Order: sequence, then structure tokens, then C-alpha cells
Amino acid sequence: MSTMNLDHFVVLSAILFTIGSIGFLVRRNVIVTLMSIEIMLNAVNLALVAFNRAHPANYSGQIFTFFVIAAEAAEVAIGLAIVLAMFRLHRTIRTDDATLLKN
Amino acid sequence: MLLMFALSPFLVLGGGALLLMLAEVFSRRPSGLAIGTTIVFITSGAFSVALWLYGIEFLPVGILSPWILVDKFTLFFNVLLCLGGALASLLAGGYLVEYKLNRGEFYSILLFATFGGMMLASAGDFLTLFLGLETMSLGAYALTAFRRASPRSAEGALKYFLLGSFAAAIMLYGIALVYGATGSTDLARVGAAFSHGVVTSHPMALIGLVLIVIGLLFKVSAVPFHMWTPDAYEGAPTPATAYMAVVVKSAAFAMMLRVLLTSFGDAESMSWSAGWPPALAAIAVLTMTVANLIAGRQDSVKRMLAYSSIAHAGYLLVGVVVALRSKEQAAAGVIFYLATYTVSTIGAFGALILLGSYGKEAVSYDDLAGVGKRHPAIAMAFSLFLFSLAGVPPTAGFFGKWFIFRAAMDSGFYWLTILAFINSVIGAYYYLRVLVFMYMREPQPGAAIAVPMQSRHVKAALLLSAVFVLALGLAPTCTLDAAIAAATTFRM
Repeated sequence: MSTMNLDHFVVLSAILFTIGSIGFLVRRNVIVTLMSIEIMLNAVNLALVAFNRAHPANYSGQIFTFFVIAAEAAEVAIGLAIVLAMFRLHRTIRTDDATLLKN
Repeated sequence: MLLMFALSPFLVLGGGALLLMLAEVFSRRPSGLAIGTTIVFITSGAFSVALWLYGIEFLPVGILSPWILVDKFTLFFNVLLCLGGALASLLAGGYLVEYKLNRGEFYSILLFATFGGMMLASAGDFLTLFLGLETMSLGAYALTAFRRASPRSAEGALKYFLLGSFAAAIMLYGIALVYGATGSTDLARVGAAFSHGVVTSHPMALIGLVLIVIGLLFKVSAVPFHMWTPDAYEGAPTPATAYMAVVVKSAAFAMMLRVLLTSFGDAESMSWSAGWPPALAAIAVLTMTVANLIAGRQDSVKRMLAYSSIAHAGYLLVGVVVALRSKEQAAAGVIFYLATYTVSTIGAFGALILLGSYGKEAVSYDDLAGVGKRHPAIAMAFSLFLFSLAGVPPTAGFFGKWFIFRAAMDSGFYWLTILAFINSVIGAYYYLRVLVFMYMREPQPGAAIAVPMQSRHVKAALLLSAVFVLALGLAPTCTLDAAIAAATTFRM
């Protein structure tokens, strides 16, 4: 374990965040898009916990993580409700079919 | 007890929202809910005013710091957000009944979202800031999707939700990086770390800063990040649109001022050569110009007002950029501008609501043809609000723009001022176009004519907004003094 230091965790969270954001931008299925956002938020959680180890004076990083997890759950609840409403009306959950509103 | 008093605006709003939720379950007649919600908003605002007059220095607010900062900045925004919420719930009282959407949860969501907005304006720590932001945004997503039978509503909400949570994730990652670089999530301590040169020693801090600013710009719908705004505003029921244009945007600007001036506001990282104040200035110019050019080409008045709210975000961003250099004057300008913008925008959306009724909505410019003759009172109110948005004296909007532009001139931002001025002239074009249609056009023979709805709620909201627009335009001193007092919070 002595070879694992803060940098490894930060790099891992950066990789996760990049995967999540690329997934968000590239994929067109709303469910997959939601999963990509979850990956990004997990990258945030990982970074917060890792940084807390570097700053052990208080636990603000770990506390923050708990709040992020809770807010994430609430967000997904609202998101899935909107996806459901969208599916009932459009019979599709692909974002490129959502073209009623145009500039 | 004094601590309860210090938190009373929050307690009233949260408690009121819970009570109204209960009342909605047990009451058969949900029409009283709009009035109830308005009363809760007014009570919460009145408690904020009482706290202001009592003097925050006599209150034990130190224990709440840094989670909730009860200072004059917070109190001013509490009043402003409650005013916006109260007017929006009055609009909803007419609109939801007319369009057969009258389900009570609208009002509870309105109250909870405003609670989040107040938390956002008062947060002194990234943790409470994030929680406030989520509380407010989740409410706004739900309000956008409120017309459940409308495909447009669902689509607008979906776009808003996806881009909103993406931006929240980006901002959170920025917060995590800044926490890693400084070891704290407290805005003031982050600011102290920044003024000791963390940016130069930690590249992570700089990336975090950029990510946080991107999240902030998304929430105020500045131009490269504005894509969701017209769609969400068009899809949402109109009172929710007015609410988002006013309360959500004001709270987002409060958050922006607080974060930028407290955490990243030291002389070194704010200097023009540090690179990102000019970037913000460029975004401000881009926001104004792009929004104004697209707004002129819209057929739908509701969508035009959506783009106009983006353009106003551009003027406000000019104020924020100037506030980075001359803190108080420009910050006071931004705060005052938000007050004038709140009453004018709510009024404009309210007039649009009042002009239509179920099946005979007023949406496009053509729907407004001849309204000036058929319904002179509503047309006159609408014109007043549009004049205020365009910044014509003696309405509120004129002084809003005047104070920001003057602060920009005083700090030596001549180019920025000139560009903002040119933009406000372009903006006048599409506001005046509404007037041309109302007063100088006749409806096409055989075209559907918008029929005004009968609603005392909406009329009351319009009357109140009109009074505020004129009062802020004719006697701005009192509110301006309050805005300056609120801005002194950022004196270093």
C-alpha cells in the first residue's frame, strides 16, 4: 500500500470524470446519459475523500461526500420522473428525438 | 431565541411550505393556496426586513458561520427572492386555474425552491452552497415539467435537467479540486489561501477555479452555456418561466457575487493580467450580443423574453466584472439591477399571461395585434414593463442600467460600457416591436384572437409590479442605499 499515494487517487478520479463527461456528450440514450452523470459525481466523491486524507484536520471532505450522495439520489428521482413523462408523450428516450423546441 | 429570530426567514419559508403541503391534502378547494403561498412569502420577507432594522450586529449569527451567513447581503436577497416568489405565486393562482393545471404541489415546490435560493444567497461554505443550489435546481426542474400533458414541457424539462446536472457535476469537481488545493471548503478560508498564492503553486486550484466559474456561468445562463434557457423557458408554464427568469437567476447571481468576491477576490488573482477577468468580460459581451441578435428574430414573445433574460444576464455580468475591480459600487449596481429586473420581468410575463386564456393563448407577436385598442389597460401595463426592460427613463430599468454603466465608467472600463450601451440600444428594437404590434397592427381577418383571462390574482400581481417599477424609477434612492449597504459586506 505504501506505493499508493494521493496522486493515484486524483488521477483515477480525473479519468473517471473524463469518462463520465465524454459519455454525457457522446451518448444519446437518456438513461446512459444519467449514468454518465453518476460516474462524474462518483469521480467527485472519490476526489473529495482522497483529498480529505491529505487534509486530515477536519472531515469536511468526507462530510461533503455524504451530502453529494444524498443530493445525487434526489436528482436521479426527479430525472427519472422527467424521463418517464418524456417517454409517455414522445414514446422515445433518445435525446436527438427531442426536437420540438428549436432555436 | 435570538438565533431563531436570525433564522426566521428560512424557518417561515420551510415551515410554510410544509404546512401548505398538508393543507393541500386536506382541502377540497385548492384556490386558496396561491394566497396562502403569497402570505408565506410576504411573512418571510417581512422577517428579513425586521432583521435588517433590528441590526444584524446584535444577533448571535457567529455560530451559523460559515454555513449560513446572515448579513445585509443575505437579507437584501431574501427580500428580493421572496418578492419574486410572491409575485410568481400570484401569477400561478390565475394561470393554473385557467389552464386546468391547478394541483397544489406547484406552490410547495415554489416555496422549497425559494428556500434553496435563499440558502444559496447566504451560503458561506461550498457545502451549503451546493445544497442550496440543488434544492433550488430540483424545484426548477419539477416546475418546468409541470404541464404533464405537454410534450414541450417534458422536452424543455429534460434538456434543463440534463444540462443542469451536468453543470452541477462540473462545478462539484471544481469544488473538490479547490478543496484539495486549499484544504478547506469555507469560502473565506479558500479566499485567504488564494491570496497567499495557492494558484501559482497548485495548478489544481486554477483548474478548480475554472470549473467553478463554468458552473456559475451555466446557472446564470451566460452565452456559451445558455442552450437550455430558451427551451426550458418556453416549455415551462408561464408563471414557472417568470419564476426561473427572476428568482433562480437572482439567486445564481447572488452566489456568483459571493463566490467571486469572497474566495477569488484578492488583488493578485483578480488583476487583469491574471487572465480570467478579461475572459469573463468577453463572455459578458458575447452574452449580450448573441442574445440580443437572436431575440430580435423570434416569433414567439415568450421565447423573445427568454432571450431577453439572457441578454440581461450579460449586462449583469458586466457589473460582476467591474465588481472584481471596484467592489462595492459595482456590486451595489448589480444588486440594484436585480431588483429592477425582478419587477419588470415578472410584470412582462404577467401581462403575457393576462392577455391569453385557455385555448386562446397569447404567444406570438401576431396574437398581440390590436391589443392596444381592445384592452388598453393591459397593453399599457405591458408597455411599461417593456420600457423598463429596455431601460427607458423614468422606469426602474433605466436606473438599473445607469448604475452599472456608471460603475463601469468610473473604473475605467470604457470599451465594456460602450459595448453594453450599443447592446441595450439593439435590445430596444425587439421590445418596441411588441409595442408596434399592440398599437399599430390590426389582427389578420380570420386569425385566432387572444382573449384575456379573468383573474384577480394576475391583475394584483401586475398592479404590484407596476407600482414597484414606477417607484424604483422615480425614487430609487431608498433601494439603492439598501443595495449599497448590502454590498459593503464585501469590503475587505
